Amino acid sequence: MTSDSLNLDLFTSDPDPAGPDGEAEQDARPAADRRAAGSPEAAQSGTGDATTGLGGEPPIAAEPLSGPPPLWLEDSPVEPTDETAEGERDPFEGHRAVARADETVDPRGDSAVDTEPRVWSVSEVNHDVRALLEGAFPHICVEGEVGRWTRHASGHCYFTLKDERSQLRCVMFQSDAARLPLDPDEGLKVRALGGLTLYEARGAYQLTVRQLQAATGEGLWRLAFERLRKKLDAEGLLAPERKRPVPRFPPAVGVVTSASGAALRDILTVIRRRAPWTRVVLNDARVQGHGAAAEVAAALDTLGASGLVEVIIVGRGGGSIEDLWAFNEEIVARAIAACPVPVISAVGHEVDTTIADLVADLRAATPSAAAEAAVPDQVELARSLGVVRGRLIRGLRGGVAHRKLRMREEVNHLGRAARRVLEPRHRALLVGRDRMERAVRRQMEPRRHQLGAQSDRVERATRRVIDMARRNLAAVAGKMDALSPLATLQRGYAVPLDDQSRVLRTVTEFEPGDRFRLRLVDGRVHCEALDTEAIGDGRGSTQS
Amino acid sequence: MDVEAHNPEDVPGTAQGADEPTLEKRLRRLTEIVEALEADEVELDRALALFEEGIGHVQVAERLLAEAELKVEELVRRAGGTETRPLESKDE
Repeated sequence: MTSDSLNLDLFTSDPDPAGPDGEAEQDARPAADRRAAGSPEAAQSGTGDATTGLGGEPPIAAEPLSGPPPLWLEDSPVEPTDETAEGERDPFEGHRAVARADETVDPRGDSAVDTEPRVWSVSEVNHDVRALLEGAFPHICVEGEVGRWTRHASGHCYFTLKDERSQLRCVMFQSDAARLPLDPDEGLKVRALGGLTLYEARGAYQLTVRQLQAATGEGLWRLAFERLRKKLDAEGLLAPERKRPVPRFPPAVGVVTSASGAALRDILTVIRRRAPWTRVVLNDARVQGHGAAAEVAAALDTLGASGLVEVIIVGRGGGSIEDLWAFNEEIVARAIAACPVPVISAVGHEVDTTIADLVADLRAATPSAAAEAAVPDQVELARSLGVVRGRLIRGLRGGVAHRKLRMREEVNHLGRAARRVLEPRHRALLVGRDRMERAVRRQMEPRRHQLGAQSDRVERATRRVIDMARRNLAAVAGKMDALSPLATLQRGYAVPLDDQSRVLRTVTEFEPGDRFRLRLVDGRVHCEALDTEAIGDGRGSTQS
Repeated sequence: MDVEAHNPEDVPGTAQGADEPTLEKRLRRLTEIVEALEADEVELDRALALFEEGIGHVQVAERLLAEAELKVEELVRRAGGTETRPLESKDE
């Protein structure tokens, strides 16, 4: 937008404080368009007859204003019949006056007419004063406090600006007022940019405000931000416990942003690098300008409801606070809060915090950072898969080793118990056929002497232990049974013992007529040897 | 821990079907399996089955990482709902 057209727009409106029905707005636009082409020349031309024009005869009072410059005539011939109506309808009229305003403020203009007093109609006065005002103050910045602010249904806003001594009536038309983040509170110190005009129907002059800023920095935005933040906070929408965890490995990621924006490009670049298996579903939305907030909110709603994605990134790249404003609007905040899947916000740069950021489940500083938060890094993932593979293998091995160890412990336990009972009287009951058994034996050797021929008390106690161990052992199953000395007896083996409870291992230890005992699994048999007979070699003596 | 072994490939439909476990499910399952195996209380048979399942998940996940290509779609409104279509890539 050029400064010319900006300037022109200041004149577009024909304010009508009494009738906020949008008519002024509708009238103003086409006029502005027409002027947009003609005005720069207009400002330069048509000054020649200004003085005479103003001094002309009443019946053609309006005529000189529109008179000589051919441009004007061609562009917009004016035959005012009802001047008030004309003034209302055709702001162009006012503009033509402006073209002469520079001249007419010259006091010499007055001296030219003081001999023959001219009789003005009220409308004529207002009409020309309006032209003067608009010409003299097309573009000014006024600082003051806001008094009585009214926003009509049409969207036009009417208010006053005041300081300690005076006040100034102001109007802000809907198209400009729509860009305000909020209606300023009374008493707020603001700067109003616009142009002076006269509302001819009332003869009241006023400032047509195009832009309104808080006098200090971004105060108005900040104020709007704080107000909405407080409101949402009061509803609990900003509470930390509302924040949902973002899935770590989402198969599909939703994105709400502009399809042509840098944000989308950044997000896709990051996801392609980190998690190329991801499905990305974009829901295009304009992210700045009038209506952007509604588009973003609607896009969030649809994408959230589609069930296609596990997480949604909403945001845009950096910009001015006005560019980012959609993300400070309530409708977007509520759409984020209502979204059925977690939402990551990424608006602007690190320094920009928006309401959307506060409501989102996760705030990312930039769109790229949002993408990083949304998907895992494949390099890291590959590494941890390697780690998992290793743990699986070690886990399996460790489990097996552990089971072996436990089995051995149970055997040892049983062996110890058995030995306590049997060993004092029946040395070498255990034939020790396997390594495990020998280990038990080695472990038990020192204790054997302590036990000696201990009392029945010990025996009873140890029996209980054996019983217990036997029950435990049932769980350890057959493998261990094979190793157990009791099981050996269970399988039908018997151990001969002499009266000293020593194991009789070979036939040479028997003489016919010797008395001995057989230890069976459940008791003893008292026997007498009748005869002996050696078979093959007498293998099996164990050194302990 | 109540962890039963499953066949990592044993999912209805094709490999790309809707019932294919997501990467997240596989990784969560892997965590369970590793923890179960390391807890030392698993029967040997079950430990072996868990191990096989776990290795299966690792292999599928690694394959996924190796073969994947980013799919970018655009949500579009249709009468009676929405659908997606591939987004023409503007950045390549």
